[in-house]
Amino acid sequence: MSTMTMPTVHARRPGPSAWMRMVQAEAKMITRSTANLIVPLGLPILLLVMQGLRTDDLSQQVAPGVTAMDYYALPVVLSIVVTYIGVMNFPSFLSTYRKTKVLRRLAVTPASPAMVMVAQMVVGLVQVLVGIALAFGVAMLFFDASLPADTFTALLVLLTCCVSMYALGMIVASVAPTPNTAAAIGLIAFFAMAALGGMFGPMENLPDQLAEIGSWLPFGAAVEAFQSTWIGETVDWENWVTLGATTVLGVGVASALFRWE
Amino acid sequence: MTDTTPPLAVEAQQLVKRYKNKAAVDSVNLQVPAGETFGVLGTNGAGKTTTMEMIAGLRKPDDGSVRILGLDPFTDRSEVRQVLGVQLQHANLHDALTARELVDLYRSFYPDPLDAHQALAMVELQEKARTRFSNLSGGQMQRLSIALALVGQPQVVILDELTTGLDPVARRRVWSTIEALQDQTVILVSHAMDEVERLCDRVALIDAGRVIAQGTPDDLKAQASAATLEDAFVKLTGRALPNEEDHGR
Repeated sequence: MSTMTMPTVHARRPGPSAWMRMVQAEAKMITRSTANLIVPLGLPILLLVMQGLRTDDLSQQVAPGVTAMDYYALPVVLSIVVTYIGVMNFPSFLSTYRKTKVLRRLAVTPASPAMVMVAQMVVGLVQVLVGIALAFGVAMLFFDASLPADTFTALLVLLTCCVSMYALGMIVASVAPTPNTAAAIGLIAFFAMAALGGMFGPMENLPDQLAEIGSWLPFGAAVEAFQSTWIGETVDWENWVTLGATTVLGVGVASALFRWE
Repeated sequence: MTDTTPPLAVEAQQLVKRYKNKAAVDSVNLQVPAGETFGVLGTNGAGKTTTMEMIAGLRKPDDGSVRILGLDPFTDRSEVRQVLGVQLQHANLHDALTARELVDLYRSFYPDPLDAHQALAMVELQEKARTRFSNLSGGQMQRLSIALALVGQPQVVILDELTTGLDPVARRRVWSTIEALQDQTVILVSHAMDEVERLCDRVALIDAGRVIAQGTPDDLKAQASAATLEDAFVKLTGRALPNEEDHGR
């Protein structure tokens, strides 16, 4: 038999419409999963409200025009939203897709399974923005919160924090053999970082060594970086290094260990 | 003289896959001309699915080569994915999406896909267009999976355990869908004798990772001096096929 006269096939990667469909698909997957939709948006607002109701000293001025609510509560809430979505939601979906072989099915189409990852990140970013908008809305309406003094740097910190937390989520997705393990590792990582990073009270109230550890973890570094932007100070280089190193570590570990199947 | 032999759509040469030094697939050769429906028949663990995974580019062979329309599924990945439609035995879909949403998603990957309505109609799932994948019955999931394998109008289609777990009515519906394919080359992996005999032009019997016989169903029966394909299989392999209830285990 002959193998000649084959039709010419040109390499063609999925175009913008395929990317749009994939993002839509991931958005529907998240919006149809109550826990994954509500918790990352509801938990930070709940914590914010609890902080606001718990004490009356949040209206104290930490710096001119900056209240304790601005300086302590909002940076923690922003970090919670990003960390929850990056470290818990994102790896949970990826490991579920891997376990149920959704990624394997996509691997035999022109779509790369990497499209799922990117679409998840895009949808997660939208969720982050919605979560932050909700938190700001509540804080401004009920607790007289104000925007960061250096808004541009705050946005840069937010972006860096998102990248860093997704990278951390990639480590979770890489090392977790099952969705349950991913949820467990994500939960432990989230609470460990958040507890040392100020979720249950300012980091300076922690023992020195724990506060030091917390500030070198991405959650604590994000909180400190956001705090700097609220009072208009330069973000410490240590915070950038921590967030950058987390990203490099996450990408490195994921490159070595992540499995589509 | 003009060569009227159709070109090979799929060619696997000396394929080898080992797991822990045990050969799951051992020097498998398959040649499937364009337009043919080719059956791969064997018991569970015979190496059928591993062979198909290597042909589909999901698993790299330890030795040997694969060509799909002359393309290498590993080095020409993008090109092969456009011309190949695959229904996998072990795979799943986004379970919270509806049948229509899944068809829309998968058709967006291809340059010249079927219309979404047409794809669902092909497997008689129009009325389930708004039903989430997780709420479909097993047979409906299988039919949707076939629709997604065909939605890109691939030139070569691999269908692994096409009707495993389906009831007789659903099986016949799926068979009709496959019989309606006109121009495609189909590789059908199965251990259902009636299915292979009805749908396939030629069949390869795989046992313990090796192709032990290849030919038309009539050729294989003649070769084994058997009245049925099942008898031929048993004579040629020395093994009985599992019951339907054992499929996919």
